[in-house]
Amino acid sequence: MKRFVYINDDEASKELCCDNRISNTKYTLWNFFPKNLLEQFSRFMNQYFLLIACLQLWSLITPVNPASTWGPLIFIFAVSASKEAWDDYHRYLSDKKANEREVWIVKHGIKKHIQAQDIQVGNIVWLRENDEVPCDLVLLGTSDPQGVCYVETAALDGETDLKTRVIPSACVGIDLELLHKMKGVIECPIPDKDIRRFDANMRLFPPFIDNDVCSLTIKNTLLQSCYLRNTEWACGVSVYTGNQTKLGMCRGVAEPKLTAMDAMIDKLTGAIFVFQIVVVMVLGVAGNVWKDTEARKQWYVQYPEEAPWYELLVIPLRFELLCSIMIPISIKVSLDLVKGLYAKFIEWDVEMVDQETGTASYAANTAISEDLGQVEYILTDKTGTLTDNKMIFRRCCIGGIFYGNENGDALKDTQLLDAITSGSTDVIRFLTVMAICNTVIPVRSKAGDIIYKAQSQDEDALVIAAAKLHMVFVGKNANLLELMFNGEMLRYEVLEILEFTSDRKRMSVVVKDSQNGKIILLSKGADESILPSARAGQHTRTIAEAVEHYAQLGLRTLCLAWRELEEDEYLEWSVKFKEANSVLVDREWRIAEVCQLLEHDLYILGVTAIEDRLQDGVPETIETLRKAGINFWMLTGDKQNTAIQIALSCNFISPEPKGQLLLIDGKTEEDVSRSLERVLLTMRTTTSEPKDVAFVIDGWALEIALKHHRKDFVELAILSRTAICCRVTPSQKAQLVEILKSCDYRTLAIGDGGNDVRMIQQADIGVGISGREGLQAARAADYSIGRFRFLKRLILVHGRYSYNRTAFLSQYSFYKSLLICFIQIFFSFISGVSGTSLFNSVSLMAYNVFYTSVPVLVSVIDKDLSETTVMQHPQILFYCQAGRLLNPSTFAGWFGRSLFHAIVVFVITIHAYAYEKSEMEELGMVALSGCIWLQAFVVAQETNFFTVLQHLSIWGNLVGFYVLNFLFSAIPSSGMYTIMFRLCSQPSYWITMFLIVGAGMGPIFALKYYRYTYRPSKINILQQAERMGGPILTLGNIETQPRTIEKDVSPVSIRSPVYEPLLSESPNATRRSFGPGAPFEFFQSQSRLSSSSGYTRNCKDN
Amino acid sequence: MPSNRASSSAAAAAGSADSSTSRRNSKRPKYSKFTQQELPACKPILTPGWVILTFLVVSVIFIPLGVVSLFASQDVVEIVDRYDNDCIPAPARANKVAYIQGAADKTCNRTIVVPKKMKQPIYVYYELENFYQNHRRYVKSRSDAQLRSVKDENQIDACKPEDDVNGKPIVPCGLIAWSLFNDTYVLSKNNQTLNVSKKGIAWKSDREHKFGKNVFPKNFQMGNITGGGKLIPDVPLSEQEDLIVWMRTAALPTFRKLYGKIETDLQENDTIHVILKNNYNTYSFDGKKKLVLSTTSWLGGKNDFLGIAYLTVGGICFFLALAFTIMYLVKPRRLGDPTYLSWNRVPGGGR
Repeated sequence: MKRFVYINDDEASKELCCDNRISNTKYTLWNFFPKNLLEQFSRFMNQYFLLIACLQLWSLITPVNPASTWGPLIFIFAVSASKEAWDDYHRYLSDKKANEREVWIVKHGIKKHIQAQDIQVGNIVWLRENDEVPCDLVLLGTSDPQGVCYVETAALDGETDLKTRVIPSACVGIDLELLHKMKGVIECPIPDKDIRRFDANMRLFPPFIDNDVCSLTIKNTLLQSCYLRNTEWACGVSVYTGNQTKLGMCRGVAEPKLTAMDAMIDKLTGAIFVFQIVVVMVLGVAGNVWKDTEARKQWYVQYPEEAPWYELLVIPLRFELLCSIMIPISIKVSLDLVKGLYAKFIEWDVEMVDQETGTASYAANTAISEDLGQVEYILTDKTGTLTDNKMIFRRCCIGGIFYGNENGDALKDTQLLDAITSGSTDVIRFLTVMAICNTVIPVRSKAGDIIYKAQSQDEDALVIAAAKLHMVFVGKNANLLELMFNGEMLRYEVLEILEFTSDRKRMSVVVKDSQNGKIILLSKGADESILPSARAGQHTRTIAEAVEHYAQLGLRTLCLAWRELEEDEYLEWSVKFKEANSVLVDREWRIAEVCQLLEHDLYILGVTAIEDRLQDGVPETIETLRKAGINFWMLTGDKQNTAIQIALSCNFISPEPKGQLLLIDGKTEEDVSRSLERVLLTMRTTTSEPKDVAFVIDGWALEIALKHHRKDFVELAILSRTAICCRVTPSQKAQLVEILKSCDYRTLAIGDGGNDVRMIQQADIGVGISGREGLQAARAADYSIGRFRFLKRLILVHGRYSYNRTAFLSQYSFYKSLLICFIQIFFSFISGVSGTSLFNSVSLMAYNVFYTSVPVLVSVIDKDLSETTVMQHPQILFYCQAGRLLNPSTFAGWFGRSLFHAIVVFVITIHAYAYEKSEMEELGMVALSGCIWLQAFVVAQETNFFTVLQHLSIWGNLVGFYVLNFLFSAIPSSGMYTIMFRLCSQPSYWITMFLIVGAGMGPIFALKYYRYTYRPSKINILQQAERMGGPILTLGNIETQPRTIEKDVSPVSIRSPVYEPLLSESPNATRRSFGPGAPFEFFQSQSRLSSSSGYTRNCKDN
Repeated sequence: MPSNRASSSAAAAAGSADSSTSRRNSKRPKYSKFTQQELPACKPILTPGWVILTFLVVSVIFIPLGVVSLFASQDVVEIVDRYDNDCIPAPARANKVAYIQGAADKTCNRTIVVPKKMKQPIYVYYELENFYQNHRRYVKSRSDAQLRSVKDENQIDACKPEDDVNGKPIVPCGLIAWSLFNDTYVLSKNNQTLNVSKKGIAWKSDREHKFGKNVFPKNFQMGNITGGGKLIPDVPLSEQEDLIVWMRTAALPTFRKLYGKIETDLQENDTIHVILKNNYNTYSFDGKKKLVLSTTSWLGGKNDFLGIAYLTVGGICFFLALAFTIMYLVKPRRLGDPTYLSWNRVPGGGR
């Protein structure tokens, strides 16, 4: 499908119709009610409640006023609906603001001022500096004579650097007057969401001389919501408008994620539902039997002799209605409320604010905080997530000479400085590549300093290092680059840029040296993509060794290379390159092919080594979280050795002898599968031992493993607590998440870059680091945090508390509903199993919504253990991971408690209020107040952390109950007129209440104390320790405890023939030989490259 | 580079107000004890001392309360006289239902001896057993609106099957009113009539607000089957206190309802003659009928349950306190001992 956009032609573009009205709203004024209702009723629970409410309208079977169900139902629907409406209204307001912004467009050669929403496809939009782009435009002209302009795309992809955009070649040199009258056609794909691709063609109509088809790329576009910077004006033709823009298409409602806890609550709800059906059936049968045997004799009931056909159904249905409160109608609303608050706590947490940038944490998904406490696997990216992504040039190796090895900083290596002053060709070429083989834009600040705007941190580091080594990249004037070397101005003209892609793993530029007119190809890239293209005669061995050496130090390496091109060669190639650039289908792939044609016979200049420091607190965080029983997988696009080094330095894996590293690799498929089997075997034998075993796999092997040995790999994944996957593609990252999820593990994916987006979206919980690689990951994520170390707090503090709180809240909700329902059931046995409700309608309606909801909501600030204790004993997270606080057996406990309390309340009430006091309304109120009193004490007993709010809500709620009932009792027309005043003036009422509390709470309190003291859970022990201030709180104790264990296990012997090479801190032990196998290695890596790019291609085709 | 980064964003900020820098800074959360979840709190733990003390205190409060309640209940003098069986003449006992539905005179004489001095006011109750006033069909069969005011007398939807007679609404309608209890008692002591006051036996609020002063019985007990008692047609409902009492439905199948008050003291061994009209049919469902004379205490009528329950709960609490003390002394356990943490003993963490 293609779209043809006719520039400046209203008629022709008419059929594309849509204007630039942006609409992010979910509803309109008209469809809000039907749509919202439909949405709410798509939930099973709501359908169920609606059915109950409808049944209640049948007065023959309803035990109480239908309002007792309709009231809460409507209330709950109103709450959800108004939340939706509020959100939607805000979306509408922001849309409206964007839509009504004034923009300039050019129509028939005249500039007009219109609202942004009136822009049509094909209109020429005129922008001034710092204007926001109103829709997706194809650039036609800019104030810059070269047709360059700069945009900030932060709103689109979160990258804060300026990007260069150029006008299409066909538009070069068209003057302003003509520009306004321009006619032409743009052939572009139908709107899609890929913000990195725009494969289109443009043809201008006469009178323009250049009538050839001219290819357009993303570089020729201005996308909606970007800002025009450092450019006086720019104009472009709109190709996508409104919701069809790239940004508009990117939006989309994410699938709501369901937490493990929600699933468990649903399961329990299901169980209760079944229980309810059983109760209803039993009581229904009993009721019908009683009716036929007993009630017929009771003349005052006047059962008719002839009954309608549905007579048998009446009693069961009545019980169904009576028991419908077993499933608490308010649980959904309560959960939504507290979940919202959990998310707010995360955002409010000042300890999770990145001090450097002032970025607070942000919870985009408010519904899954409990899952944080149940994480079992963390899949983490390396660069920018574990590391700072703050690149610093540290060392280099030029022509076989290592610089910076002594002091660890090549910039201060006198040997290098000498080589520069002496003018060594290799060194100067090396510096030139460092300075200009990139897409960096130097900008002069007001103070006169040069600031580099780079898309990648590596390039930034290289350019800055080059500048410090006297090769200063001074300015970029369209295609003309200016270098200042020792006071001498060098000029290069950029002819082509062969861009970096993750498949190619290298980038090159073709420049023309203005000094001597020579055309040079400058390349930089990963070793395995550069070294195979080395010139035949060159010894790449020293380079490979240098790479290996640097990788072992945990440095990121780039190989720099150079080749002089013959003019003919370049021109010939240039045609092909242009062709490839204008292909509409598979353009990326074709370009890569063409690039390969030029990038060969390279003269390898040397290797740069860039340090990417670990973020603060990463090792501690990982250690703590591993202690908490969370397994870590590192998924990185980086080299194996770099990855292993980083893994070692951040406690990811332990050095020998405690840790063991198993490699899965191989040169052929068989090798890989054999290696996989061997690792699996080792893994099976070692799982019983307290040893850190990790496996390392790279992207190529991973692909084979996933394709052919999925079962084995899954088993491996289950067995291994740690894994390092290097050189993996974004889609492989997502696949790994998928595998762990399929084994029923709770996964958390954390990353910072665009390449992590897929895994973040795939995982149960996606966490984005709002870091230097832009905000793309943070936007896709459920949570975004500033630094990796906040993960510890996010999981151990917020996740754990959320889990505990929800566990209490949900079970308590069932408890209170069951309690009142059991009393109704008991009452039915003394009311002729006829389905009479003991409680009046008002009480039933208010019970779930008012009387019992407030105290339980305050459990959102309950803390069983202080944050410090949890941090010191992360193992306690186990209770959450294993779901110890909410599962069928804890639920059974609550079920039993409600049964017990129901018996207590019921028995005491009917005995204390027997004979002359057994008035219906009074008895009902006594039983209800008994329930409310017990509620208050149960909440109080289960609260660990009493703040003012807790006291206020628990005891205030009790007072509120009486106030509310006094109010009801003051209304003469209500059924309970004066009841509460009468009761409260009777001493027997209060005596009964105390008895209910004493009898109801005594055994529970005793049981709790017994368990707490004699069968304590770990949480209890820590609570005791924390509050008694025992020796456990001294850090030294904790530190020494694991140490002694380490000593016990330290001697390791070689046990089995499948023993894998151990990892140690000494470089020799881990070093993989590069000796005779080196050529194979290259061969292999080349095949890897092609196979992996083939893989991504497949993905794209899908 | 920090400098690089800072200046680039500064340049951006110069351009637009909502650039990333300013937005981020405004996102910095405000500090407050609540938002940081650091509100000052008391974190109680169950130390043996506190728990034992709590149980002791509870037992110390409950046992005396139990004793007091029990005494209060014991102070109440209560005379219960079951008459449903005895008031049927021996020949008719084979078919009690036929007797009670028959036209024969149902007067019955009973003699009650006062066992102990009874201080006024003495309440006269009738007690019904196995009578389900709380039955779903029964309890709903009334119209409060109709009872309250004349203009609502047609609101009889809930009253079926006793809603109307030949299309004219029954006032008071419904099964409850229809089945009004109609045994009557005339008490005499030493051949002197003992005045049983029927004034003020119903709740004041009911008389004043629930039963209208200008609502008179209409078409009552005119249907094909007669249920219970009849009402005096020209007395407003608000003054028909027997009806008002009856319409306060009981929640339990055994219940007492106030019949009247005796406002003189009765002495020990006083003999009271009761002439009762045994009109009400409880025989078809084996219900018992009792006449009850009772004084009250501050806790109400004679009911040992509260006292016994208090003593039991208090006793259990005392026992628990004792048991916990013994357990504490025999098997002291240090709270919060880190050696109980499994990960401090077993290597390899929580799993």
